[in-house]
Amino acid sequence: MSALVEVRDLVKHFPTSRGIVLRRNGGAVRAVDGVSFDIEQGETLGIVGETGCGKSTTARLVMRLLEASGGEVRFEGHDITRLKGGALKTVRREMQMIFQDPYSSLNPRKTIGSIIGEPFAIHGLNTGGGERRKAVQELMETVGLNPEHYNRYPHEFSGGQRQRVGVARALALKPKLLIADEPVSALDVSIQAQVLNLLRDLQSEFGLTVVFISHDLSVIRYMCDRIAVMRTGKIVELASNEALFRTPGDPYTRELLASVPGARRDRRTIIQ
Amino acid sequence: MSAAEPLLRVEDLRVDFPTEDGVVHAVDGITYEIYHGRTLGIVGESGSGKTVSSLTTLGLTRGQGARVSGRILFEGRDLVGLSEAEMRGIRGNDIAMVFQDPLSSLHPFFKVGAQLIEAVRAHQDVSKAKARARAVELLGLVGIPDPSRRVDQFPHEFSGGMRQRAMIAMALANEPKLLIADEPTTALDVTVQAQILALMEQLQRELGMAIVIITHDLGVVAELADDIAVMYAGRIVEAASAELLFSQPQHPYTWGLLKSIPTLEGSRTEPLVPISGAPPSLINPPSGCHFHPRCPYAQPEHARVDPRLEPVPGEPSHHVACLLEADVRRRLWAQLHAGRVPEEALAAVGVEEEPPR
Repeated sequence: MSALVEVRDLVKHFPTSRGIVLRRNGGAVRAVDGVSFDIEQGETLGIVGETGCGKSTTARLVMRLLEASGGEVRFEGHDITRLKGGALKTVRREMQMIFQDPYSSLNPRKTIGSIIGEPFAIHGLNTGGGERRKAVQELMETVGLNPEHYNRYPHEFSGGQRQRVGVARALALKPKLLIADEPVSALDVSIQAQVLNLLRDLQSEFGLTVVFISHDLSVIRYMCDRIAVMRTGKIVELASNEALFRTPGDPYTRELLASVPGARRDRRTIIQ
Repeated sequence: MSAAEPLLRVEDLRVDFPTEDGVVHAVDGITYEIYHGRTLGIVGESGSGKTVSSLTTLGLTRGQGARVSGRILFEGRDLVGLSEAEMRGIRGNDIAMVFQDPLSSLHPFFKVGAQLIEAVRAHQDVSKAKARARAVELLGLVGIPDPSRRVDQFPHEFSGGMRQRAMIAMALANEPKLLIADEPTTALDVTVQAQILALMEQLQRELGMAIVIITHDLGVVAELADDIAVMYAGRIVEAASAELLFSQPQHPYTWGLLKSIPTLEGSRTEPLVPISGAPPSLINPPSGCHFHPRCPYAQPEHARVDPRLEPVPGEPSHHVACLLEADVRRRLWAQLHAGRVPEEALAAVGVEEEPPR
């Protein structure tokens, strides 16, 4: 395996200002504070941590949705940290994101068909009307949506189906890297497994490289090959799935594991 | 009152909300009991009626045009018919509630202490100074460091976990006999969640109150609850002690929940088994067993016959609302537990599909 993405000493500081009338520069929130890791070809890398640990910011920096304050991101060996314009657009085709909230990440005024077809429009692909429709309907089938629902609007779909729309949109350009930021946290329990299994199936089918961000250790364990544990902008532990859950090295990782409800099952030792 | 009497007994509670689109049957005839010092976990997805049933216990659905029928007996007294003034005497006093989102449940303009003092003085005739001392004591009780300084801070100066502790402190202000906690840890990080759950357990031991914990998280109830009721589409579909519910679950929906959630122990290679479909409409719930459109083991007659919540043969404390034979259920769960998917389990158990009429 070779690295699809190499992240080196990545830093993101958000400046904070003090005072309402006279704004003075205060310090900076060090959201991501010197993070280095590789994303190997074809693996699922998990990033786990609590609110504010910098996991989403890291993902957004890799996607170039945020500008890094320092460090670099290399995609297939090329530094993309300072790319602009057309060159950035070309790289962006290769990486797509699935967002947490399937309600706010779909434009309510557009049909499902045009939402999933939007990446084609942006990149000028499948320009013929019939051709684009066919491509979109194939995608809908891939993610388990009924292609006949092409002309429906997001409000006609349940949360799980909307998340499938998000997945279809992300797959439209056949990206090499897929970043899923808390893709199931907003879904009902009985629906979560549908989306998790879909992501697993798609990954093996298309050989995708996935970064899976979650605060839920059980979900991370089910989905990921390697896992980075983040805390206050830093990676405190990066290990294979098996190593992390069998022999967690960092005290913070052990605290996280012990905090999973049902993990301290001294009273009840029976689930499964 | 003898110890054998339940503290709260809810009998055939129904809550309907008339809306433009039709009547929403949010709670559709549920019955349960809670005893002193015990914890009942109510598990369900959004729209299962778990929150509405508890809000109704506190009379909090009255303002929303809810139509309530059935009985809610608290220490033998029916709360359904009480006046708003009588209800105010109970709410926050004998029965208190902790809500899911601590930020929107605390008033941002008032100091945490002022809000605690208000809660104390609403039910106790004490001076402000005494109430303030009580507020400091309560903050200390829920483990907020330096409570005499913290009492003069505003909610925005508290972290999420501290706000939830402050909410619990407020709920405990008048030493309630019953604490209803609605998703008390859902908005919190897992390490903070663990602290809050431990705190609730400790306070229950010290104060002897009964707790109803409402959650979608089976892990949380596994840790905290003595008894568990699983709700689906406004009904209780299974109720049992926590031990029985996890060791011998009886309802296909409960099986679905248990098999669709990744755990820290389960096999990674064994795929999760999602529950197909989506939660049903509460305006036009499915005919017969409400779960039948999503149930892999449903028979044609299950679309016509509505199952009642009945004791499991041989386990009188374990109740389930399912039309499958007890023996078939037992064999199906054995298959599922061994890692088979529902189709394989069905084939192995050999439930014959009735020919469609």
